[in-house]
Amino acid sequence: MPPLLEVRNLTTHISTRRGVVRAVDDVSFTLEAGETLGLVGESGCGKSMTGLSLMGLLPPGGALVGDSSVALDGRELVGLPERELRRVRGNDIAMVFQDPMTSLNPTRTIGHQVAEAVLVHRGCTPGQAADRAAEVLGLVGLPHPRERLKDYPHQLSGGLRQRVLIAMALANEPRVLIADEPTTALDVTIQAQILTLLADLRERLGMAMILITHDMGVTAGHADRINVMYAGRIAESAGTDRLFRGMRHPYTQRLLASVPRLDQDPARQLPSIPGLPPDLTAPPGGCRFADRCSYATERCRAEEPELTGTDGSDGHRYACWHPTSGPLPQHAVAVAPHPDVVPAAAAGRPLLEARGLVREFPVRGNRLLVRGRRVVHAVSGVSLALGPGETFGLVGESGCGKTTLGRLLVGLDRPDAGTVTLDGTDLGHLRGRELRRRRRDLQMMFQDPFSSLDPRMRVGSILREPLRIQGIGTARQQKARIAELLAEVGLPERGLELYPHEFSGGQRQRIGLARALALTPKLIVADEPVSALDVSVRAQVLNLMKRLQASHGLSYIVISHDLAVIRYLADRIGVMYLGRLVEVGSADDIHLRAAHPYTAGLLKAVPIPDPAVERAKHGTGISGELPSPVDPPSGCRFRTRCPLARERCTHEEPALRLFGPGHTAACHFPLLPALSNHAANAATDTSGH
Amino acid sequence: MSTLEPVDLPEPEPAPESPGAPEPAAPATAARGSRPLLTAFVRNRRALVGLGMVAVIAAFCFIGPLLYRTDQATVRLDLNDLAPGAGHPLGTDASGYDVLGRLMTGGQSSLELGFAVALATTVIGTLYGAAAGYAGGVVDAVMMRVIDTFLAVPGIVLLLIMVSLFTPSLWLIVVLLSLLSWLGAARLVRGEVLSLRSREFVQAARMMGGTSGRIVVRHLVPNAAGVIIVSGTFTIADSILTLSALSFLGLGLPPPHADWGSMLSAGLNSLYDGYWWLVYPPAAVLIATVVAFNLIGDAVHDALDVRLQRP
Amino acid sequence: MTAYLIRRTGQAIVVVFGVVLLTFIMIHLVPGSAARATLGTRATAERISVFNAANGLDRPLAAQFVTFVKQAAVGDFGTSYSLNQPVSTLIAQRLPRDAVLLGLSTLLTLAVALPMGIFQAVRRDRVTDHVLTVVSFVLYSMPDFFFALLLVAVFSVQWHLLPPQAPQAESVGGILADPQALVLPVVTLSLVSVAGFSRYMRSSAITTLAQDYVRVSRAKGLPERLVLLRHVLRNSLLPVITVLGLAAPNIVAGAVIAESVFNYPGMGLLFYQAATSKDYPILLGSTLVVGVATVVGSLLADIAYGLLDPRIRYVDA
Repeated sequence: MPPLLEVRNLTTHISTRRGVVRAVDDVSFTLEAGETLGLVGESGCGKSMTGLSLMGLLPPGGALVGDSSVALDGRELVGLPERELRRVRGNDIAMVFQDPMTSLNPTRTIGHQVAEAVLVHRGCTPGQAADRAAEVLGLVGLPHPRERLKDYPHQLSGGLRQRVLIAMALANEPRVLIADEPTTALDVTIQAQILTLLADLRERLGMAMILITHDMGVTAGHADRINVMYAGRIAESAGTDRLFRGMRHPYTQRLLASVPRLDQDPARQLPSIPGLPPDLTAPPGGCRFADRCSYATERCRAEEPELTGTDGSDGHRYACWHPTSGPLPQHAVAVAPHPDVVPAAAAGRPLLEARGLVREFPVRGNRLLVRGRRVVHAVSGVSLALGPGETFGLVGESGCGKTTLGRLLVGLDRPDAGTVTLDGTDLGHLRGRELRRRRRDLQMMFQDPFSSLDPRMRVGSILREPLRIQGIGTARQQKARIAELLAEVGLPERGLELYPHEFSGGQRQRIGLARALALTPKLIVADEPVSALDVSVRAQVLNLMKRLQASHGLSYIVISHDLAVIRYLADRIGVMYLGRLVEVGSADDIHLRAAHPYTAGLLKAVPIPDPAVERAKHGTGISGELPSPVDPPSGCRFRTRCPLARERCTHEEPALRLFGPGHTAACHFPLLPALSNHAANAATDTSGH
Repeated sequence: MSTLEPVDLPEPEPAPESPGAPEPAAPATAARGSRPLLTAFVRNRRALVGLGMVAVIAAFCFIGPLLYRTDQATVRLDLNDLAPGAGHPLGTDASGYDVLGRLMTGGQSSLELGFAVALATTVIGTLYGAAAGYAGGVVDAVMMRVIDTFLAVPGIVLLLIMVSLFTPSLWLIVVLLSLLSWLGAARLVRGEVLSLRSREFVQAARMMGGTSGRIVVRHLVPNAAGVIIVSGTFTIADSILTLSALSFLGLGLPPPHADWGSMLSAGLNSLYDGYWWLVYPPAAVLIATVVAFNLIGDAVHDALDVRLQRP
Repeated sequence: MTAYLIRRTGQAIVVVFGVVLLTFIMIHLVPGSAARATLGTRATAERISVFNAANGLDRPLAAQFVTFVKQAAVGDFGTSYSLNQPVSTLIAQRLPRDAVLLGLSTLLTLAVALPMGIFQAVRRDRVTDHVLTVVSFVLYSMPDFFFALLLVAVFSVQWHLLPPQAPQAESVGGILADPQALVLPVVTLSLVSVAGFSRYMRSSAITTLAQDYVRVSRAKGLPERLVLLRHVLRNSLLPVITVLGLAAPNIVAGAVIAESVFNYPGMGLLFYQAATSKDYPILLGSTLVVGVATVVGSLLADIAYGLLDPRIRYVDA
């Protein structure tokens, strides 16, 4: 009996102006009913294109070439007329895409969009299609599906929209579901819910699933088998357990090692993969990973390895001339010894101190609308302090106010109440020239490497701009300084003459960091510094940030939704929920002794790249989605999603209480016993010092 | 098409994984970087055709008279309405002027007018639009209502009233057309500045202590340059057309002054007399010029819109 | 939606007030211009001051403005110098005729431009797209009067297919009773704007085609025809509606030309004749009417936008 889905020699070429991109190159695999296959790799490795090729949904200029074959239940799909292929699409094979915010038509109701999928393939009446739509929407956990059929996409949150998209894909009970980064655009707590939902549906409907993701943690808990893709080809293919414990391809090994993990020793440098993936318009002749591989030899550069090497059992295959065995041992990372991180200054005046910060925005939806009188409570009474050389990590879901807080701290925005003092100076009292001068001490590193550098300026001018504005040094000194800065972040000097678009995302983040360093600030606020980057590049930037902190004695405030990143960089961590800091403590306090149920739930939701750990998890403990900051819940703001919430949480707002030295949390029913009230009062004042 | 304007729709986020196209690997080998807009523009065939046409037409109008000398000052009624032939390759008009020579001098007026209006419009529109967009809030709202008001009164209406009050001259028409056309440019620049204002590199400039003036001049205006150029080239085309419409309505430049529009309108009066050389040559150069500028504007517009670009 | 409507109407009222003010300023732009226009450029200073006193033009500007607004509010724009009829009567006669001409030509424009733009977007960068692009560029770049006369030369003079003059009937019914004569004016007005709108529709549809939800609808197995009809058309239309609202002044400009060429007795012709004979009351009255019509047009476009885009319709419903 043939396997449910058999893909052989799948090769996809896309003609572009720059030449033909060999997006998918000779990829073969099979998928059995009820199985989940993980397709893992970095941007541009061809994993999404593989999914689109299976659906016959190639972008303009794309075509399957050679003897590509996709057989569903023994029936060849390649070469079928478009008409026949349409019957398969959305019926036998369905797909869930990455971005729920843009994947629904904004001008049609969700009921219509789900019913449409039914109507195309089943000869039924619109009424029956609507019934089916309500049924599947219920199946994916949309509350009150029947009433919501008439809702428009913009009325739903991101998590609910992703559920609608899944419903749309499931409407005809497909036999194969391709999920392309289904949770990448979502928060961890929602991600956990969606992944659980997908796994549950797969089981109930007996579907096979292809899970395309860049996140090793996601596959660890949800895939039976994993194909690791690199530069359009499969580098390694194995059962999930085997891949994580006994990988043979150096790329798999490095990729896994470069992911910052919650159980990582933050004092150790992350093993990163140097360089960038090859250009697929002209892939190298030999092994495509050779240029970035530390084991590469002449043979690797000359000859392309086949995907073979059946390593005994289980169909474990890999394409490598010099296979390794198993994960990179931690001690084997004999890279530069880690410099001493300046310990948090326990004594002395804090570098930066925020007291009772409040920031509220009038509700503004569409710019065409009347400005309402309602306000978004973005930041509601946050206090924190930061010592010299210290890193404070700010973590929370999107919409929790962490970015607003970051902008308040650097003075890009002014608080409605509360103060920010830097080295004893109240920033709120500075105006005009004085404030502009003071900016030297406070710099910011931005999230989006594509919008943080002026596209019309050469890198040299970008780096020189802060020096020019602040009038530091002569022209010659400025030039020397920017060359030095560029070298410091590991870019060649000729980069000064180039424009930002000529650099990759990781390189641009380095330039952004160099620009922030130009004024030798005391504090850099980094808002999601690596979330736009690929895993292997992410490690490079994180290492660089740590190294520069040590050599410049910098303080960082790192804002991120990614607990692992925060864990790796931060000495102390603040967890934000709906405009409030609900828990603050040392990195270990947060990870090992979380007192707040939200912190604990958040930690549990983070996927760990370890199949054993992931499979042992049952639920996250955090249900539902972030309530609207326009109308935050009374009492404890977390109560609507808290498994431990009781009557008291509704009326009474919990105060910050002390749970250990420098460890505070605001909860009526904490997971740890609190210290005495007296100590707690002292703690709320300084927020942990 | 000067009404092409960004509309308030939520822009889709760029997909993190552009299909099959890896990011540009490592700094290019070129010693000096290349400007993205320029590259896209040069690659566009329409743009090159448009530029080529403009170059040929400009040479025809400004260098042509040096090589092909004609008398465009004295009326020669004895030579009127001659068909093309020896000595007058494109014949003569009702006043006995040589049509080919008149096309050259007439073109000078048309092109000068187009460029002058585009320049004035661009400067006024950019300043006004950038100020409104950067200031935002109430200032922006008031400034935009002023524009709405002017836009509500059709330009041709204002023009007709003005030229019926004053005797038209080339410079009067330049001033009037500029006063009418800057509105569109201002709206475009404002829209662009509004979206640029929230970009991270602008915040970065503020973080360095950059003043508002610096941010507008160094970051916002250069980044809005594309739309400014687009609106400028469309303005050239539109102004040449508007001048010809005024000529047709008898409110254009008074004779003996010539421009393509007045030549064409005069020629059309004798369309049924079979004097084709008074109609088609001016129509051809006029349309070719307007097409050329529209091609350039359209190409820059495409080059700007990353989403419209092929991977 | 309600709040949106209130706000847009508020803005429209402000702009209408601005138009009234602007018109008023134009009368007073040149001192004595009204008098000069009536009495001729050679009028003596004495006659001018007598005229000004008789017409209340010597009063303070603010007082004159109040009178002007009061009169304009009840549709009193004075009496035409050359036609000796109240301006309001003249305008009332002609507006319905323009509604016919401009309405028909706008409908034709959209009927051609929208499908053409989508078609070009789908066939982007293929031969048909290039050909249509060249055609629309040439059409767009043609002076409308030249295009109109070319049509007359071909269809009326050469082939005797259509009359060269528009219907001269007084009533709307009479105009519609002579559809043959309407063809050339309507086609002239349409084809020139087809170029602009199809271009805009093309670029809007290209943007829409690149949206994720279009890919999702294809992944459902929807035939391409339905993808275009259900998902691309409406979303591409939204930005075009805004442009349509802003296009009113261009349509008026086209009407002035087309009505003079085809001798169609509408506002455009009235206006043109007033401009050449310096008939002040007509110029001001029609400016005001056209200005208000423009504001109402763009208000209607915004309302249509709101109706088609649920993101606006349902925000504070």
